[in-house]
Amino acid sequence: MKDILKASSFKALVIAVVVLLGLIIYTTSAGGSFIASLLGFVSTPMQSVATNVTGSVTEFLDLDGFTKDELKALVNSLQAENGQLQDRLVDYDELKHENERLRQQLKISQADPQVEMRSAAVIGRDPNDVFFGFSIGIGTLSGVSAGDPVITSQGLVGVVTHAYATTSKVECLLSEDVQVAAVSIDKEETGVVTCNIMMASSGLLRLEYLSPDTKLEPGDIITTSGAGGVYPAKLKIGQVESVEKSDKDVSRYAVVRPFQDLSSVTDVQVIIGFPGKGEEDAAIDPSEIESGGEEDAE
Amino acid sequence: MILDFNRLIRYLAYTLELLVLFMIQETPGLLPEVFGTRPVLVLPAGLTMAMFEEETPAMAFGIAAGLLCDFGYSGVLGFHGLLLGVLCFFLSLLVRTYLQVSWLTALLAGILAIGLLIGGQWLCFYFFRYSMPGYALRHHYLPKYLYTLLFVPLLYLLNKGLADTLQGQDKQNF
Repeated sequence: MKDILKASSFKALVIAVVVLLGLIIYTTSAGGSFIASLLGFVSTPMQSVATNVTGSVTEFLDLDGFTKDELKALVNSLQAENGQLQDRLVDYDELKHENERLRQQLKISQADPQVEMRSAAVIGRDPNDVFFGFSIGIGTLSGVSAGDPVITSQGLVGVVTHAYATTSKVECLLSEDVQVAAVSIDKEETGVVTCNIMMASSGLLRLEYLSPDTKLEPGDIITTSGAGGVYPAKLKIGQVESVEKSDKDVSRYAVVRPFQDLSSVTDVQVIIGFPGKGEEDAAIDPSEIESGGEEDAE
Repeated sequence: MILDFNRLIRYLAYTLELLVLFMIQETPGLLPEVFGTRPVLVLPAGLTMAMFEEETPAMAFGIAAGLLCDFGYSGVLGFHGLLLGVLCFFLSLLVRTYLQVSWLTALLAGILAIGLLIGGQWLCFYFFRYSMPGYALRHHYLPKYLYTLLFVPLLYLLNKGLADTLQGQDKQNF
């Protein structure tokens, strides 16, 4: 035992332990680090290539794996969905024209969105992350910083938690760490979108803090409210599947299915700047817009 | 000089092995999911390397494997590096002093060391931070532990092959 303690290798172990403890303390307090950026420089190109190749092969195999009946069923369901969307499009066009006419009457100008975005590919998913977080192939060199929202064409998927030089870590909406102020556009009800590991395993979210007499029902669309200035308003999140009674208090919560399968996102956009970012009162409440408009008209 | 060159090549091969395994474990869709989990390949790789190396290089490769694991996971660098570095150091010492190098020893060492690492991960990164730790342990950490263990014999054979093929001066003299 004494021999081991006197050996030079044991001294090396002690030095390594002290240095690593220092590293833990430094990265816990500082967030990013030079070593992480360095590892990112080494691993990003390899991971990008591997992910692209795997994606192409998987896509090829998936298409090849469909039977004739499965393809027929897929075409039928897509045609039905297309019909529904075309009906909605007619309503949308009418509403758009009416909206434009009312804007002109009320002299409300269309605000320039000024949303600045960067495209990125998902280059890694760590097996240790229980909440389906992922890495993207852009970092601080592309203007990304911690706290930036991450979206796809289907809506919000997460938020950047660590930004290194060439990579960034994204915490998915399915994480317990991510809480998003949300609103139902139809019913004008607000809540907070959260998750836990059990719901994350099923790919579902919870819209918490709804009143006991909530009018939300299955099919209602949930978007970000913009409250707190962390996320832009009106980003799609998902659709209500059911409304349940909370087991903690008298409030209710809605089970929300995201429009995007959050565990298999491949390409994303990072919003690096948007109007109202970081402003506490950046919330867009539909009822306030309505009353504000009426006051202006008066 | 040629023999030292062998050792250098072996270390280079270990480094490449760690990088490739890290890339494989991080790439989505490359390894099949079992109960929604994927294996952490760099952990058994670091441990089996330690069985064929002296304490200091064993610790160094353990730290490297751990740092890769930290980089992929949490952004807090050092946790896995520290644990795996210390485990590899003592595993190397045990193997050189008391144990025989075989796939059975590697499996037993893997069961204990990977259990400690994944248990520590659950305790430090989940138990004190999130709800439903029991559910997480049963449905995520335990399947991941068992899935990772499957790779211990495979990586043992790979590293044994490397160590046998690229023997250093000390081993050849021995």
